[in-house]
Amino acid sequence: MLSELLQGTDTGAVLIIQDSCSYSGQHLLKSFISAALNKEEAVHVLGFDVSEEELKDGLTASTQRLHFHSAYTDPLGWTNRTAFTVHQFCVEELTHLLKQTSHPKPVTLVIDSLSWILRHVSPPAVCKTLQQLKKGGAVRAVIGLLHADMHQRGTVGSVCHLATSVITVAPGTKGDEAVAKITKRSKSGKVMQDEEIFSIKGDFSVTVVSKTSHAGHRQTEPEEHQTDPTANLTFNIRLSDTEREAKEKLALPFVFSKEKKTALLQSGPGSGRILYEPDANDDYDQEDPDDDLDV
Amino acid sequence: MFTELNSILNATPDSFTQGEFILVSDRQSDASFLIHHFLSFYLRARCKVCFLGLVQSFSHYSAISQRLGVSLTQAREKGQLIFLEGLKESLSILIPQETTTGSQAMDFLRDPTVGLQRLYEFVRSSVSSDGGGEEGVEEWGPPVLLVDDVSVLLSLGVSAGAVLDFSHYCRATVCSQLQGNIVMLVRCHGEEAEDDGSDEGSEWLLKGLTHQCSLTLHVQGLPTGYCRDIHGQVEVCWRRRRGDGQHTQKKLFQYKVHDKGASFFAPGTSSAVL
Repeated sequence: MLSELLQGTDTGAVLIIQDSCSYSGQHLLKSFISAALNKEEAVHVLGFDVSEEELKDGLTASTQRLHFHSAYTDPLGWTNRTAFTVHQFCVEELTHLLKQTSHPKPVTLVIDSLSWILRHVSPPAVCKTLQQLKKGGAVRAVIGLLHADMHQRGTVGSVCHLATSVITVAPGTKGDEAVAKITKRSKSGKVMQDEEIFSIKGDFSVTVVSKTSHAGHRQTEPEEHQTDPTANLTFNIRLSDTEREAKEKLALPFVFSKEKKTALLQSGPGSGRILYEPDANDDYDQEDPDDDLDV
Repeated sequence: MFTELNSILNATPDSFTQGEFILVSDRQSDASFLIHHFLSFYLRARCKVCFLGLVQSFSHYSAISQRLGVSLTQAREKGQLIFLEGLKESLSILIPQETTTGSQAMDFLRDPTVGLQRLYEFVRSSVSSDGGGEEGVEEWGPPVLLVDDVSVLLSLGVSAGAVLDFSHYCRATVCSQLQGNIVMLVRCHGEEAEDDGSDEGSEWLLKGLTHQCSLTLHVQGLPTGYCRDIHGQVEVCWRRRRGDGQHTQKKLFQYKVHDKGASFFAPGTSSAVL
């Protein structure tokens, strides 16, 4: 589903990429920018997290249609060098910003990152702006990066409610791979969930390594980690029904059954009698060891 | 300067990656030896260093740097090192005296709600000042900002969000604009806790700074407890891609701090074990 999302998004789509400290969603965001540029779309980036150089670094597609609105150098207006401050994050300012460049093509707005805005603008205001952008028609799609571990769960939840698609990225088990949990809401109201393992190449193309359905993944995971100790045994530890029957019939040597008891206690005549013939040598006096000497 | 750490980070005073934001953090351990390492490293690399020493006095840093073979006093006289002595500055603000003009860098002490704009302006002026050039002073390399440590700011009443704003501005100026480096130390007390993104505290600050930085060095005590021959472990994590396609790369080392330096080794290969 990830490549599907990269290929094309419907009009009025809001896509949120959620990441955390352990895996940065920046690379996937760049993949989306690169994919949008390859589709001949105009991309406007509202950059808080990274500088323009860093964002454009490695993007092979022509960056002519990439418009970077730098909120990185001065997001709060401390140094008066600003192109865009965080407090300007509202529909009027954004549409004004998008109209500065004329292009007939549909516009994709990339917000890098929503976390920066949410730290300074109240969550309801951010949600309202996102909703207006979604409905307004000034942009075709909004793609936002959200550092989910920086906000309260409620804030993350309400922002993700607005989104038509949410991609949560987490580190994979090996090397360059990462896991993406995708939730997609179609216009009909159907919700699709999927989990995919992907890797991002040097030119920001995304390769889906394997797909794991949500339930299936959960089941296979523990088996991989807990190696079965009974896997390669040289003997059989399971019993068939006949074997079990035979086992249950067998009387164990230490169990005293009635028959066994009587057999042991009532000795038959002539068996087990002790015969004793007194011997002179057996009559040994402890107190006088020299008794037998003829002194 | 610890040569073993240099080889781990693939840096020498002659050649090191520019524009990096290095985050040093510790939990139930002490990572200040890394701050001393970076201080002596960048002074040897002939960088212009701005040091915000909020924890200790100048003489403390100077004494340790002396052992590592760098003279802070000389560097300060030459104009290579700009040292903000947090302890002294805060005292001059808390107990105002007419004679001290003082910088306005620590202005946030008067009213912590205003944020760290003044401190940032101090940093900006110290890293970007060209010294006028009229005295024929030596030319210094890319600027470096060192902060020991940012969690002190939290104790002084600054909100964690304001610290993140400050670090963002420093990053934009020092790393991106001037292609210099930043090293910041954050301390976390206690166990790793799941605190649902609540807006305060060093845990949250650590997360926020981790999102900003390009390299983290996380120092922890040994999970198995105190050991005489191993002082702890340090997790090195590169977060930005470096062209060759590698995204995040993690390595774990154990370390022992000596009198004049520190040794780093792979887990389980200390002299006490082998």
